[in-house]
Amino acid sequence: MKKLILLFVCCLMAWGVTVPANAKGIIKIGGVGPLSAPGSFESGKEMKMAMEQAIEEINAAGGVLGKEVALVFEDTQGLPEKGTAAMERLVLKHKAVAVVGEFHSSVAKAEIEVANRLKVPLIIAEAWADVITAKQYKYVFRIAPANSLFYRKIANWIHAAGFKNVVMITENSDYGIGVERVIREQLKNAGIKMTSITAERTIQDFTPQLLRFKLATPRPDLLFGIFTGAGELLMVKQAHEIGFAPTKETALFAVGTDALHKEFWEITGQSGQYVLTKTGYYPGIKFTEKTDPFIKRFKEKYNREPTFAAMEAYEAVYLVAHALKRAGSTDPDALVAALEKTRFTGLRGVIRFSLDREPAYMYHQWPGTPAFVIQYTQVNQPYTDALLLWPKAHSNGQLMKP
Amino acid sequence: MTEYLLLQALNGLIIGLIYALMALGLTLIFSVLKIVNFAHGELYMLGAYFSYYLAKLFGFPPVLAVLSSMIIVFFIGVVIEVLFLRPVYTGAVERKDEYAILITFGLSIFLQNLALFVFGPWTRRSPSFMSGTTSVYSLSISNDRLFVSALAVVFMIATLVIIGRTFMGKGLRAVSQDREAAAIAGINPFKMNLLAFGAGSALAAAGGALIGPIFLIFPTMGAMPVIKSFVIIVLGGMGSIKGCIIASLILGEAESLGSVLFPDLTRGLAYKNAIGLLFLVVVLLVKPTGLFGEKHVRMK
Repeated sequence: MKKLILLFVCCLMAWGVTVPANAKGIIKIGGVGPLSAPGSFESGKEMKMAMEQAIEEINAAGGVLGKEVALVFEDTQGLPEKGTAAMERLVLKHKAVAVVGEFHSSVAKAEIEVANRLKVPLIIAEAWADVITAKQYKYVFRIAPANSLFYRKIANWIHAAGFKNVVMITENSDYGIGVERVIREQLKNAGIKMTSITAERTIQDFTPQLLRFKLATPRPDLLFGIFTGAGELLMVKQAHEIGFAPTKETALFAVGTDALHKEFWEITGQSGQYVLTKTGYYPGIKFTEKTDPFIKRFKEKYNREPTFAAMEAYEAVYLVAHALKRAGSTDPDALVAALEKTRFTGLRGVIRFSLDREPAYMYHQWPGTPAFVIQYTQVNQPYTDALLLWPKAHSNGQLMKP
Repeated sequence: MTEYLLLQALNGLIIGLIYALMALGLTLIFSVLKIVNFAHGELYMLGAYFSYYLAKLFGFPPVLAVLSSMIIVFFIGVVIEVLFLRPVYTGAVERKDEYAILITFGLSIFLQNLALFVFGPWTRRSPSFMSGTTSVYSLSISNDRLFVSALAVVFMIATLVIIGRTFMGKGLRAVSQDREAAAIAGINPFKMNLLAFGAGSALAAAGGALIGPIFLIFPTMGAMPVIKSFVIIVLGGMGSIKGCIIASLILGEAESLGSVLFPDLTRGLAYKNAIGLLFLVVVLLVKPTGLFGEKHVRMK
């Protein structure tokens, strides 16, 4: 028995010696995002792919502070409580020096509380609710646009394009409600008639409401769908099937990132032609010297076109590495100070974080996030070939109708 | 307005028929095995994926892909019954109800995550059964919806004929009424369990495979339909096939008409899923056994 105990103690000691030795050679960066239901796992997966690509490149270039960097990714499932647990595991168990990612605003809202409590820098890559940065937490940064920042630009386009009667179908999530509020306020100020309805995120049949809109007098000239995941694709398909939108009378704007994935065409087919959507990246515009090489490598590695969600996730990892180098240590306060002084050439411009406290959501927010309105003009068109409608300065065509 | 409501009623009928197909499988399983299968939604999802890949990779015509996926999922159901549910009837477990709930619930989570791993997170769509739309008055309905509801009726009639008119169906009914008496009469209850679970799984697969071109395919696609199926089988009366079909049609109509007749039009769609549950509460308050339910439905 004594021998057994001795052996056990020896094993423990050996383990105790080897683990810190490994840990000393690695800097861990935490990743968060949905990889399973009920989260938007397709977007989470794409973000994780981009983060892994960034980690590979950073290590190939010699790592950071003389050490290798490693990504420890936690699946947050689109659930706030999972986000809290994931953050705690990453910081307390894995000793991540900073955390990046997240797709769902409701989950990000839970994660920023942990970041603030445990004093670890968190860069939100793709969650848009204003409140995430509006809380003005010291350790929370965001490179995704705030809803107000981005959708004001989209509302400006709706106004400029001459739409007079807009109907909106919104998913009842933090993201959806936030977008709806921004668009509603802007359209109201512009004097545009607007009807807004909300629906469960899991809804599959939009036909009853779409039929109502189709028969309304006067008929709406724009259907603005604020949905993500399968719901967005179903809305596009069903609106077209009943002959409502996109048609000569009614245009269709789908805001979710799913409209940019290549699977969009498999699902919508003919229904996807003339659909309008938004993106934070468009290839015809010269952003930085890093953009094209990133896209080339991503396509080679994963055989798909990256969306701007992937770009944000990739940039977020680089921002941490960049801040670590400048801070010269993994101390959270030193990292925050370095992040606040960030001037990093990303994939879509030079990233910096605003220190303005008015409006509240601008604090630690990258103010320069680009916003584009694009329109698919052909079936099976990659979003990178779609017509660019807005901003006007870069536009390469006029709104097309069937 | 009348035309609009008629169209909504037609839409509700189509949705109701689709619900019925899935709920019928759950009813069949419940009536024979007295088990609430929480993994039913995942069998529905597997049916959809198999049908999709058979059509996409092997070029199966859509209807043949549906039938083939039903056969595959029938055998998956048989394996699940033998491996996980058989212990309920062999006396290997003491708390039968709890065991059945936990094992099927665990299976549901496992299959969902397995699908995420194997098939990936991207949303898929099966090839259309019949592309294009059919115009009804001034509005159009997709041919897929019409075709799927017709096929759902065919599957339902086939199920009813098999259960009502064949020797095998008599065996299933006998076991559902009294296992021991059926065994004394020479019917092997284990065989009937196997058959009921396999056939119930195949019906779920049919539902998933038929819905593939309409409501899309993704690993969690079974989560909402399985809840609706539970509502339907409780509403219709646990184990009643007639009740299940009628309750499916009621639920389809209640959701379709309820969401457009809702007092606050901007919230109609938000409460669509709740309308069915509200309906269920009212029916259960008036008739606790459901519309056509019996009292003795627990495992013996």
